[in-house]
This record gives sequence, structure tokens and C-alpha cells, in this order.
Amino acid sequence: MHHKKWIFLTVALLAALVIAACQPAAPAPQAPAAEPAKAESQEMAEEGCTQPDKVTLQLKWVAQAQFAGYYAAKEAGYYDEECLDVTINPGGPDIVPEQVVAAGQADFGLDWLPSLLSAREQGTPLINIGQVFQRSAMREIAWKDSGITGPADLKGRRVAVWFGGNEFELLATLKKYGIDPEKDVELIQQPFDMNLFLQRQVDAAAAMTYNELAQVLETVNPETGELYKLEDLVVMDFNKEGTAMLEDGIFTTEEWLSDPAHQDIAERFLRASFKGWIHCRDNPNECVDFVLKQGPALPRGHQTWQMNEVNKLIWPSPNGIGIMDPALFQQTADIALNFGVISEPASSDAYTTEYAEKAVSALEAAGVDTKGENWEPMVVELTEGGK
Amino acid sequence: MTHSVTTLPEELEELEPEGLGASIAHWLRRYFPSILVFILVTAFWEGVVRLFNINVFLLPAPHAIFQEFASNYATLLEYGMNTFREALGGFAVGCSLGVLVAVIAIRWHMLADLLLPVAVASNSIPIIAFAPLAIVWFGIDAGSKIAIVALMCFFPTMISTFRGLTSLPPGALDLMRSYAAPEKDIFLKLRAPAALPYVFNALKLSSTLSMIGAIVAEFFGGSVKLLGVYIKTEASILHTTQAWAAIIVACLLGILFYLAISFVERLVMPWHVSFREVGHE
Repeated sequence: MHHKKWIFLTVALLAALVIAACQPAAPAPQAPAAEPAKAESQEMAEEGCTQPDKVTLQLKWVAQAQFAGYYAAKEAGYYDEECLDVTINPGGPDIVPEQVVAAGQADFGLDWLPSLLSAREQGTPLINIGQVFQRSAMREIAWKDSGITGPADLKGRRVAVWFGGNEFELLATLKKYGIDPEKDVELIQQPFDMNLFLQRQVDAAAAMTYNELAQVLETVNPETGELYKLEDLVVMDFNKEGTAMLEDGIFTTEEWLSDPAHQDIAERFLRASFKGWIHCRDNPNECVDFVLKQGPALPRGHQTWQMNEVNKLIWPSPNGIGIMDPALFQQTADIALNFGVISEPASSDAYTTEYAEKAVSALEAAGVDTKGENWEPMVVELTEGGK
Repeated sequence: MTHSVTTLPEELEELEPEGLGASIAHWLRRYFPSILVFILVTAFWEGVVRLFNINVFLLPAPHAIFQEFASNYATLLEYGMNTFREALGGFAVGCSLGVLVAVIAIRWHMLADLLLPVAVASNSIPIIAFAPLAIVWFGIDAGSKIAIVALMCFFPTMISTFRGLTSLPPGALDLMRSYAAPEKDIFLKLRAPAALPYVFNALKLSSTLSMIGAIVAEFFGGSVKLLGVYIKTEASILHTTQAWAAIIVACLLGILFYLAISFVERLVMPWHVSFREVGHE
């Protein structure tokens, strides 16, 4: 009897622990984002919008200013105006937006064009409906005192890049300078931090202008006691080398898009998202506030730098925001073919500008500047740790 | 031992190897069920993929994987051997340390109280948290991978060796002490042989862990000529067939490592009961 009482208590305690452990997992991250949106859409259920369409967007990475336009569209009510109830799901190291969208867990996703082409070839008919980033933000950086002045000097060195679909710009650049990636250079897969570069374990590392570059510039140089400066670095720009590939674009599946109701949703989603990005061009600091509300890992200073750099990728958009430039598409597709991302040439069926063009026309008609020809970047001062 | 030593019992006579043919037949009989299961699972996998038209990025078909392996085996094996070298290095470091710590803990009891909690804590370190630190401390090359594998192999080996060194036949220790046997003799003649089965258990476990550990460590960065980096790279551009071909190579190397340890075990402990039993399967 004594025995049984203790067994019962132990089992009850374990059960309670298990139940407690399982509880908060799902609702916590989504709850804060979902509730204000619901409140807003209930308030703004105005003319004609009785039942907003529920839509999910899968981001390519964790919440940060790289996705400010979408957060702005949500916070400033642009999605509500289009009668859309948008859930924005952050990404992460092992989340592949193509898989999430293809599996039907999200309606729209953000990814880089080479991955989309690869997914299409693997039998997943994804389609790009809006190419927001017009320029590549990826750079390969080296220390000025390493003697590397440009890509040609990478021969015989230890060169790092993340791999996972973003190495092809570097590989194309090496090929351009006659460097064999198998024999003439030691390629290293780098982790998602800049420690390898800061510790000089590698001679050159990959960095996004809006993220890792800032992380380096937010670190104190132990020799001088001050932050590292841009003058300490050699920044190799793939856009200038003609080996850049297109990055963040909005995509969905061909199957989802074949439904006329969804086509209407796509156009509205693009209109509101573009409006969000335009808002972030004209009000970058407010957009930084929107991003900070999402609880990103890196603080305000870093997000401000990121917002500014991302704006540089979008503006000016000579054809209007989100409209795919066929020549840039072809450049990306050719590099993808040359480096084994895809084995057959990509067809231009991989993208459609129809909905983006409609969205841009509607915005232009409403007097909104969709090209940003006169936009000037801010000057952002970095502080240690990006505060 | 119940058999007489003058004549071999019938069962043992039947098992006398009569040459290569008999050995192969014997080996086949032992492993036929597992080979059959393997073939059935592969056929089932192929069937499911074809029947449900499963997209290649979710689950590639076995025939595609074997084709990929056949056309790319040189590269895959080269990368595999690079990874295996790290696994072996980590295995050697981790298991030696494990045995050493266990021996020290037995010999000097006071150190046991010091070392054992630290060893238990070491086992609780999440690899995901440790890997980036390992890269900073030991470098992005083999150093960090060996460190991670060593960490994974250390604890099972230490705890098994400790158990083995203390699992003595009842009365044997008292007998040795009654002979005033020095500690060294007690260790070499009593504890060490008793511990060998436990140590080899841990080594077999560590052999499979080491390959896994090396690949997981490589997920955090490293030279491109490594299996883990290759798997991660191919998987993230949705080349799942290539990733699976590399996974097959990793499994093969892990199994071969395990079999190698088993073979060494058989050489070192031919007297052990598991190799002597008749009709043991």
C-alpha cells in the first residue's frame, strides 16, 4: 500500500511535468503577432471587407529588417485595406521556404531565385510573382592587410561561404578569374556567424551587406580598441563582377495561382506588400520600430543599418518595384546552369510579372512613387554590438 | 563448461569449418534474415514512391539514389573518408580519455567523487551549443570535429569501463586480497579482463556515434570535401537524391567501423562466453 502511494505520486508528478512542458510551445511566438492583427482587422472590417482572406507568408530568415516591407504592410494596415489577414512566419537555419510553400503550409514564400529554379527542376512547380530585391546583397570580404585586393587574389587562399544555395555567385566569380574551386582554392563552409573571419581562420568570408558586414563593423578591433572600419576591409561586389544572382523574391506554387480567386489575392498581396516597402523607403525609422516589435535578436542600430542596406537593394527600381528584369533573370539562370544548380536551362515560366505589374500600375494611378529614382540612402553610424 | 575435453561433441563437429564454401554458407545463413529485410524495405520504399508519385524533394526513390551513388561514388567515398578520419580521431581521443578517467576513478577513490559528476555533466552539453564554441577553440578544420566526436564518445566509454572494472566475479576480489596481491596485479589480472566486454560494448556504441558526431559537427561549417557539408549543401538546394546517396555512404562507413570493432573484439577476447556458446545466434 505504502509502495503504491509513492508510485502513484511519482507518475502524477511526471505526467504534470510532461503536460506543463508541452503547453507553451505552440501559441507563444504567434500569440503576440496574431492578436493585434485580429483586433485591427476587426476594427477595419469596413466597407465591403466582411471576411478577410487568410494568407500565410513564409520568410527566408528570422525576423529582421530584411523583411521590413511585409511587417510595415501589416502594422500600417495595408494588408487590412486589401482585405487580407496575413500571418508572417519567420524562417531560420533549417527552414526551407520552398518546402513550406510546396507542402501547402504557406501561400507565399520568400527565397532566392537559384533555389526556386532548382526546386522547379526537382518537380516542384513554384513560380516567382514579385522580384523585390533588384540587386544582390552578397559580398565576399577580406582583410585589407591580407594582401587580397580582388577576386583574382583568392587563388591559393582559404575562402569561406555559407553554401546551402548561396555559393554560386562566388563560384561564378572564381571561374571568371580562372580559379578552379577544386584545386586552386580551399573552400570552407562557414557557420552563420563571423567568428571565422574575425579570428582570421579564413582569408575571405561571405557577408550580406545588410547583416554580416555590419556584424564585423560592430565588433571592436582588439588592437586599436575601436570598431573595425570599412577601410580595414576589401569588399568584393558580385554585382560589379557581373556574377550576381537575384535574391529575395516572392513566390507561390503554380497550382495555387491557377485559381482565379487566388490570383486576385496575389495581386492584392503584392499591392499591399509593395506599399509596405515604399513606406519603408520613405519612413525607414518607423519601419525599424515595426521590426523591433517582432523581437529580433539584433538591436536597433543593427536593424537601422539593415533597413538602409535593404533599401539600397530595392531602390531605384527602374521598372517599378517587384518587376522582374528579364536580363537579370537570364544572368541568374545562366549561372545556375553553369554551376549545376540546374541541369537544364531555366524557362521564363519560372516567373510572371503579370500581378506585380497590375499592382504597380494601381499604385502609380494612386500617385505613389513605385520607382524611387530620387531616393538617397541614409548615413548610418554603427555602434558596438549594433545597439 | 559441460562438454568433456576428450572428444568434441557432435554439434561442435558440425560447425567445424571445412573451407571457404562452408564459411560463406554459414555466414549467409546467419545474415540471410537481415539481407531479406533490407531487400524488402528497399522494395517497399520504391513501391511507395512510385504508387503515391512522391515528389523527389520529399523522398527520392531508391533506384535514383543508387544511380546517383554509382555515378558519383569516387567523390562520395573521398568525402566519406575525410569525415571518417575525423570520426576515428575523435573516437580515439574520446574513448582513451574515457578509459583513462574510469581507471583513475577506480584506483583513487577520492578522485572518483571529483571526476564522475564532471563526466556526467559533460554528457549533458548540447552539441548544438557546443559546436560553435568548438570551432572557435579548435578551429574550423578537423580540430573542432574531433573535439565534438570525442565529447560524444567519452561518456559511454567512461561509464561502461567503470562498470566493467567493478563487475567482478563474487569473491574474486577477496581472494586476491587474501593473497596480498599488489594493486597492479589486481588491476591487470582481475579487473582488466573483467572490464573488456564492457569496454568493447562502449567501443561499438562509440563507433556508430562517432560517424554521426562527425557529420553533425560538419553541419556547423568546415571544408567542402566533407560528407556532412555535402549533405547539408545538397539538401538545401533540394537535391535530395544526392543528399541520400551521401547518407548511404555515411551509413556504410558507420557499419564498417562497427564491424571492425567487433572483429577486434573477437580477436582480443576469444575466450569470452559469447564466442564459445554452441548454437549461439
